[in-house]
Amino acid sequence: MSPPESSPADGRARTPPARRRLLEAIAVREIRTVARSRSLLLLAAALTAVVVGVTWIGDGFTAGYLPSIVDLLTPLELLVPVVAIAFGYRAILGDEQRGELDVLETYPVSARELVVGVYAGRAVGLAVTIAVPLAIAAVAIAVGGDDPVSVYASHSGADSPILFARFLVLTVLFGLAVLAVAIAISSLVSATRSALGLSVLALVALLVGFDLAIVYGLAEGIVGDSDLLYALAASPLSAYRGLVLETTVMVASGTGPTVASPVSSLIGLALWTVGSLAVAVWAVGR
Amino acid sequence: MSERHTPPSTEPVLHAQDVDHEYGSVSVLEGVTLPIRADAVTALIGPNGSGKTTLLRVLSGLLEPTGGTVTDRGPDAARRIGYLPQQPAFRPGFTVRETLQFYGSLVGEGDGATLERLERVGLADAADRPVDALSGGMTRLVGIAQATIGDPPVVVLDEPASGLDPGMSTHVFEVATELAAAGTAIVLSSHDLELVERNAHEVAILDDGAIVDRGDPGDVCDRVGVDSLRDAYEESITGDTRTVRVQGVTT
Repeated sequence: MSPPESSPADGRARTPPARRRLLEAIAVREIRTVARSRSLLLLAAALTAVVVGVTWIGDGFTAGYLPSIVDLLTPLELLVPVVAIAFGYRAILGDEQRGELDVLETYPVSARELVVGVYAGRAVGLAVTIAVPLAIAAVAIAVGGDDPVSVYASHSGADSPILFARFLVLTVLFGLAVLAVAIAISSLVSATRSALGLSVLALVALLVGFDLAIVYGLAEGIVGDSDLLYALAASPLSAYRGLVLETTVMVASGTGPTVASPVSSLIGLALWTVGSLAVAVWAVGR
Repeated sequence: MSERHTPPSTEPVLHAQDVDHEYGSVSVLEGVTLPIRADAVTALIGPNGSGKTTLLRVLSGLLEPTGGTVTDRGPDAARRIGYLPQQPAFRPGFTVRETLQFYGSLVGEGDGATLERLERVGLADAADRPVDALSGGMTRLVGIAQATIGDPPVVVLDEPASGLDPGMSTHVFEVATELAAAGTAIVLSSHDLELVERNAHEVAILDDGAIVDRGDPGDVCDRVGVDSLRDAYEESITGDTRTVRVQGVTT
């Protein structure tokens, strides 16, 4: 449409609220949606039960932080993507199916503001969902350990709550990267069935596909030994696993081969997050 | 009942000029020219499938016309066009008040204005009811309240009286007339020709993707030589009015 040509009428708000207020309004709506969703609350409870259960079964409450990280890493590699996809796969799609995306288009909200606001709100919910069970486990370890930890350090050879805190933060970052993928899926499809199908496909790719591709690349000589650490950073799951091992297990053991490039892995997760959100912005705005 | 008045403004606030729209190879709108005046209720009438919703979506800026132009000459406003979809729906788990507060926050509108809008459409008592517990008619009323948020210069309402009882249908048209009297350009579609005849300042009869007649309802009736808009409608529409014309299929 062409820009307005006539003078402003009386009594109408002429300028939209600041961008920050728009983002806040959209994000708060998402946080409320997550908090009021029984299925997501049930999922959060299930994740808490699994985290606490695995820690308990593995004697993590008495063994310490590092053994618990090792016990929890594999289950969380599987569960965090599932939970993240559940948080995001209908976030944009639901609004589109109800016709609310059309309505929102008549408000001074850009596709970028909408996607960033939706992502921010869902990210808060997901971060809490992941962080709370891990925090509960950390407190239980602190209280139940045979040999209470007195060294709050990250240097080699010491178990420390700082290592567990790193694990918690990295797990949240992993979840947020997968959430961005889910938001992209949500904005690309127009039917719930398509969203579910694409989500399953994304999960298979994230959990198995990229790792298999790296193995295939290694076997075929496409990926050289010197490139392996960077190739691992390209897969969100490998990047997460490598980051956890490199910044917790390897730090505590004080020795061993380099299993990941932390900087490359962080960049990899950031690129997945930003790239997926860019796809979502394009899809909403098309 | 509200009284129709002659709008003072002549300059269209929104102007569709030779608009075409095609879905793939199916032509839905052909050469539609429609000036939308401020201070007036413009009603689109026509059979199912004649292109009313598509034209409203084009006017709202939600669809790009495949031909022609839509020129927005409206005044500056945070929200340029308000829109009520044909089947309004809202995110479940929120109350009516929360839903409208959310939309209001997107244009910097306070909570007081939200209640005023609910009162205007006669839904103040349902402010704290979950939107997923509303009847279809009540959801439409929430949608109408939503469409006016931010006081946009143009409000587009796709079948605002659909699913409402006669009293509420009349009230909705009265609200539209009041908004027009306050300077808002109202564009709506409706199958309630009696209400359109009583309330609309301008009517456009759409048939098979083209406007076959438009003007003041009285003038349209005079041109066709009939006494009511219903008769004018039936005289203007080609084909069997008891059969839905499917564009691209019905010949």
